[in-house]
Amino acid sequence: MTAKAEQLHAPVLGTISRRGFVKTGGALFVSLALPLRFATRAAAAETPTSLDPTLPESWLEIHSDNSIIARTGRTETGVGITGYYPQTIAEELNVRPETITLIMGDTDRTPDGGYSAGFLSGMGNVRKVAAYTYQALLRLAAAQLAVPVSSLTVTDGVVTGGGKNITYGELVQGQHLELKIPIEGALPKPDPKGEVGMTSLDGLTVKGDPPMKAPKDFKVIGTSFPAGHIPDKVTGKAKWSCDVSLPGMLHARMIRPATMGSTLVSEGTLDKKQFPTAQVVRKGNLLAVVSPNEWEAVQAAQSVADSTKWSEWSGLPGSENLTKSIRAHKWVKASDSKGKAAETKAALQAANKKISATYEQGFTRHAPIGPFLAVADVKSDGTVTVWTHSAQSQGLRARIAYVLSIPTEKVVVRWMEHSGQYGRTTFGGDGAEADAAILSELTRKPVRVQWTLPDDLAWSSVSPAWVSDFSAALDSKGQIIALHSAQYSPHMEDPRPIGALLAGMPCAASKPGGWVATEWPYDKIVNRLEDVYGMPNLAGESAYGGFRGNIMRTPGQRQQNFALEAFINEAAATAGADPIEYRLAHTTDERLIALLRATAEAANWEKRPSPHSGAQRSGTTRVAGRGVCIMIRSNAYWVGIAEISVVPDTGALKVAKFTIGCEPGKVINPRQLDRCMKSGVAMGLSETLKEEVTFDKSKVTSTNWNRYKILTMAEIPEIKVVQLSRDDKGFGGGSEAANALVAPAVAAALFDATGVHARRLPLTPEYVTGLLKA
Amino acid sequence: MASELTLSVNGVKQTVTVDPETPLLFVLRNDLKLTGPKMGCGMAQCGACAVLMNGKEIRTCITPVSGAVGQEITTLEGLPAVWAQQKGLSEAEAEKTLHPVQQAWIDEQVPQCGYCQSGMMIVAVQLLAKNPNPSVEEIKDAFTNAPPSPHLCRCGTYAAIIDAVQRAGKTMRGEAV
Repeated sequence: MTAKAEQLHAPVLGTISRRGFVKTGGALFVSLALPLRFATRAAAAETPTSLDPTLPESWLEIHSDNSIIARTGRTETGVGITGYYPQTIAEELNVRPETITLIMGDTDRTPDGGYSAGFLSGMGNVRKVAAYTYQALLRLAAAQLAVPVSSLTVTDGVVTGGGKNITYGELVQGQHLELKIPIEGALPKPDPKGEVGMTSLDGLTVKGDPPMKAPKDFKVIGTSFPAGHIPDKVTGKAKWSCDVSLPGMLHARMIRPATMGSTLVSEGTLDKKQFPTAQVVRKGNLLAVVSPNEWEAVQAAQSVADSTKWSEWSGLPGSENLTKSIRAHKWVKASDSKGKAAETKAALQAANKKISATYEQGFTRHAPIGPFLAVADVKSDGTVTVWTHSAQSQGLRARIAYVLSIPTEKVVVRWMEHSGQYGRTTFGGDGAEADAAILSELTRKPVRVQWTLPDDLAWSSVSPAWVSDFSAALDSKGQIIALHSAQYSPHMEDPRPIGALLAGMPCAASKPGGWVATEWPYDKIVNRLEDVYGMPNLAGESAYGGFRGNIMRTPGQRQQNFALEAFINEAAATAGADPIEYRLAHTTDERLIALLRATAEAANWEKRPSPHSGAQRSGTTRVAGRGVCIMIRSNAYWVGIAEISVVPDTGALKVAKFTIGCEPGKVINPRQLDRCMKSGVAMGLSETLKEEVTFDKSKVTSTNWNRYKILTMAEIPEIKVVQLSRDDKGFGGGSEAANALVAPAVAAALFDATGVHARRLPLTPEYVTGLLKA
Repeated sequence: MASELTLSVNGVKQTVTVDPETPLLFVLRNDLKLTGPKMGCGMAQCGACAVLMNGKEIRTCITPVSGAVGQEITTLEGLPAVWAQQKGLSEAEAEKTLHPVQQAWIDEQVPQCGYCQSGMMIVAVQLLAKNPNPSVEEIKDAFTNAPPSPHLCRCGTYAAIIDAVQRAGKTMRGEAV
């Protein structure tokens, strides 16, 4: 790649200094200009809390062998950050992305903190860091080659000017250079009064506006550069958090309470003859068996659990009464509202034609294939190291310190890969790390805690249930002139770690509430009011906080958008309009219009109203239908089109084909986006057709894969992907949202096939048959 | 009570001293440090722990290590050697050659979190050994309906897996991909 230096007019904001000369090697270190606790490499070496002070703490290093190291506290969560971060850095530096090595997640080896899910802010940071560095390299080259900066060109890390070439490596050869760049923000701190019990989870942000490449000049962004995490995972060379093995390490299995609110009456007995090296460890209601041998820990834990007594408790409503119990909450005022309250209410009151509907969604959960696990080593000098796959290393660090009542500086978090988590750890909580740290503190040994699948499916945080009331006023042509939504859900931001709750140790609590997560796509609906109501956790008053609600992939917006788009489909049917034409009639957003048209064309969408003329609500033959939905999220536009068939008498619903369209501004990596769109459709189908956390009056009952069912490969439809990329709208979030485009489209297709609106998720055969028979 | 057991894993005979009832998964991971197979459900419901025993998939989370004695066990780490032997590759060639299934998993960028993928590749190798050119329906069937349970992927990489199995099949049949 080549960039004309003349194009770069903006002033260089970073300052570069030479810290010394070295005999071999040499490097340019990009570090922080503001004196935080690790402001310089020298200071880092002197910081007593740094467990490995020989490692530099900086964003980017250019080495004399032309290799580049980039560091970020954000981590690979399975959506390809190890592909598009190197792409982004390479683009601004004019180097090949293969020359960049990423170091991710370790709190003592990366500078910035922040959400791994925060794609736009995270990429914004590394892009600016690379842009500042590029300017510094140009100045070094101009001095070396004795030509003005404006005469330089750069291709694959080779600077050309005045008829001479010099590589980046040669520019730093024999020197120890440091570039300081401006930053703002802070690393996370516990804040029991804050929303999620933490402040500054978004970490550090790079300030200023260094000159950056225009999208039209991109050479690496827009290509399908492979994600760096993949080869080692495929060969078995990858080291995962479950592979950590330390000298003297104990394996732990947890013994969880008999119900969601039970307290410990008496711990069971451990047969030392049968399990000679096992040991029972207890703090409050946190109970575990540890052993140097994992199999002994498993067996001994089972044996101790069998004779452990817990108090009785039954404070849950039962999942069949979920909606009733949410309705029964004393709702006072909306936590968040958007739109025009007075005008919308007046328009609804004055309307000649009104429609209304209520939608319900059960609890779902992240349900990783690998139950969560963590290793902690609480040392006698008071320092703590935690090995984790949390997507919020710095937040977890602060949270563990808070649980153990020690300064954050005493804790180091080391990040490694593990099973996908889909938002569960975004706030640095809810994992096995607190269990491990507490057990390590008690045993004075490194402890590896492996949750079992029932532990994970019964005791981890959940994505909360929702109840949504919608009403709209229609004009004589069926056009929506006013729309009001009121959406109710339990708390969705409670990441407190279960281990600490059981042990009765400090947990930075979080504030219940809710927010309007939809990004309003229908600007022609002038009078609209969106109200979102949040209540505390269901059974939140119980000993361990009941169902701790937490965010999960496309949080809030998936549920709110299901209700909104299902309702728009109902309105289109009332108007006798084609559902795509109906949407086009309610928006002037040209990005949305372009994507709707492109996706409809790819799906061979036939223009007509729903239901289909052959729709049947009874019978043993399959009837087919199709449906559509849209969404806007984080500067990305989405369209989903489902084609299904259903046997009305059995409720057996098959999705034959799903067409998904996305326009996220500039597409960074088409193949990774393709993979995220297709896998998002799979997860969305799973949520739409199968997933619901079930519970009786005292405990969760969906505690294995036969009871918490997720999609299998046989149920995957043909998936068609439509991507639109454009240079004039910046970058949007492409990796997350696809799951939210499934439920409204499938529900609409069910209506098209049967003439009956589905208003509750999941669309299980039992629900569908009941609905069609009603 | 711990016993001395000899296992043949990835073509190498290894002796371990363990309780014969220990799940094979724990022995592979903790004693032999073969960490490709992963701990998933622990009850043969997900497939993350799958390996080949005499070329046929087993779930190591419920298989006692004693059941593997005298059998040939192949884990993810042993797949390149299976292919090298099948193709009669020289040692030097074998060194730099992955099993076509692994190569296809890289080329198609299959893994997202990747936790289930060791088990998925095991199924793919078994499927392609008996059906070199499977249809999409046959691939879906192999990953879903073979006992004891479907192979589950929470990230939803199923479409990518289907692409990769077909790509690997082409390579193994000697066709251009």
